[in-house]
Amino acid sequence: MTVALAEARLAETKAPLQAFLAQAAGAGHAEIREARPLTGGAIQENWLLEVDFSDGPERGRRELVLRTDSPSGVAVSLSRTQEFALLCAARDAGVTVPEPLWLCGDGSLLGRPFYVMRKAGGTAAGHLIVKDDGRSPVSSPADKEALAERLGAELARIHAIVPPRADLGFLERPEPDAAQGAVAKYRTYLDALGVPQPALEWGLRWCELQAPPPGELVLVHQDFRTGNYMVDGRGLTGILDWEFCAWGDPLSDIGWFCAKCWRFGRDEREAGGIAPRAAFYRGYEATSGRTIDPQAVAYWEVMAHIRWAIIALQQGARFLSGGEASLELALTGRIRPVELEREILAQTAPEAWRAG
Amino acid sequence: MRDRPDAGRLLEQARRTLLQEVLDLLPANQRYSALMVANAMAIAARELEQGPTVAAEERAALAGFLGAEEGAEAARLERHLAEAIRAGRHDAAEPLHALLSASTTRRLQIGNPKALGGSKGR
Repeated sequence: MTVALAEARLAETKAPLQAFLAQAAGAGHAEIREARPLTGGAIQENWLLEVDFSDGPERGRRELVLRTDSPSGVAVSLSRTQEFALLCAARDAGVTVPEPLWLCGDGSLLGRPFYVMRKAGGTAAGHLIVKDDGRSPVSSPADKEALAERLGAELARIHAIVPPRADLGFLERPEPDAAQGAVAKYRTYLDALGVPQPALEWGLRWCELQAPPPGELVLVHQDFRTGNYMVDGRGLTGILDWEFCAWGDPLSDIGWFCAKCWRFGRDEREAGGIAPRAAFYRGYEATSGRTIDPQAVAYWEVMAHIRWAIIALQQGARFLSGGEASLELALTGRIRPVELEREILAQTAPEAWRAG
Repeated sequence: MRDRPDAGRLLEQARRTLLQEVLDLLPANQRYSALMVANAMAIAARELEQGPTVAAEERAALAGFLGAEEGAEAARLERHLAEAIRAGRHDAAEPLHALLSASTTRRLQIGNPKALGGSKGR
C-alpha cells in the first residue's frame, strides 16, 4: 500500500523530474520509461529509473537509482545531500561506488531532497552472496576469497579519507577516543529508549573497561558489511549505504564487517560470511599499510553487536511509538536484540574481563 | 473462556494455512512478507503458551539476585540492575553473567528458538 502511494506521488512529479534529469544530463529531453521502487533501506526510498535521454553525454537509455529520504527520517542518519558529498569523496578516493550523478537539494520537486546515481549491477542480498551455488554471483571459494580481499582494499581506501575535510564539514567533530565515545553515545541511546537492558549494559560496561588505546581518526563507513555491497559475476560493483559515515577508529569498520551477526549464518567464514578473515585482512593491510591488531578488532566486534542491538531496538521503537506500521521493524525490534544479547554475553564472559 | 479453539490453536492453524495454502500463490516479491507474517504468528503463539511462565521465572531470578522483597515489580528490578551494572557494581560477576545468559535463553525460546541451536533448544 505504501508502495502504491509512493508510485502515485512519483507519477505526479514525473514531468518536473524529467525536466530536472534533462537539464542535469545536458539533454534536450529525458523520458522516464519505468520507475520502480527498490526494496531495502528502512530509512530512505530508492527508485530504479529507466530513462531515455534524447542527446548529450548520457544519450540513450540509462538505468539510474534515485534516492530520497523516507517520510520518517532517522535522526542519526545523514541527509541525502550529505550522502551525495560522501559518495563523491569516496569515488575520488578510488572506492568502488555507484557513480554519483546529480543532486537536487531543492525540496520543492519531490517534497524532499534527492540524488541520482548510476545503477550498480548485480545483487546486494547477503543471504544469496554467501551461498555456494549458482544463486550467488561468487559461488566458488576462490571467487569469494578474491571478493573478501578486494573488500579489504576498498575499506582501506575509505579509511584513507581523513579529517579535516571542508567538503565533509557536516560530519560531527570526531571524538578523540572513539571507543569511549561510542560507549557514552550508546548509553544515551538506551536512556532515550527508556527500557532497561541489563545485558546490553553488561556489554557496554565491558567495553568501557576493555577499550583499546585510541587509534587514528579516519572516515568510517559504519555499515560496511555483507548486504551493503553489490556483486555480479565479475565481482564487486559498488559499496552502498553511506548514511552512517562518521570520523572514527578504522578498526570499528573491520569489527563490523567481521562480526558474527553479519555472517548470514556462515559463522565459520569470519570475513562477512564469505571467506576466512585472513583474505580480508590481507587486502586491507596491503592497501592501507596498517597492521591490524586482532585483539582490538575482537573488541570492536563486541561493540558491533551492541550497536546493532541498539539500532534494532530503535527500529522497534519506530514501530511501537513512531507510528510506522511495518512488520519488518516490529520483528527486528522483537527478535534481533535478544539474539545479539546472547552473542554479547558469550563474548564478554567473566574470564574475558581483563584486570585493569 | 470456554469457546474453543483457543487463541493459540487458532494462530497455529492460521499460520499453517498461510504457509501450506497461500504462500505458493504469492508473487516472488511478496513471499518475504508472508514469511514475516508466519514468523510473527509463531512468536505470538509461543508467547501465549510460554509467556506467563517465562515472565514469572524472569522476575524470580531477578528478585533472587537482587535480594528484593516479595512482589517487587519486574520492570523496577530490571531498572535497578541496569543502573548497578552501568555503575560498575557487578563487573565480571559470574552469577550475574549466568543470570543474564539464562534470561536470553528463556526469551529466545519464545522469540527465536532456532538461535539456541540443537543442544540448548528444544
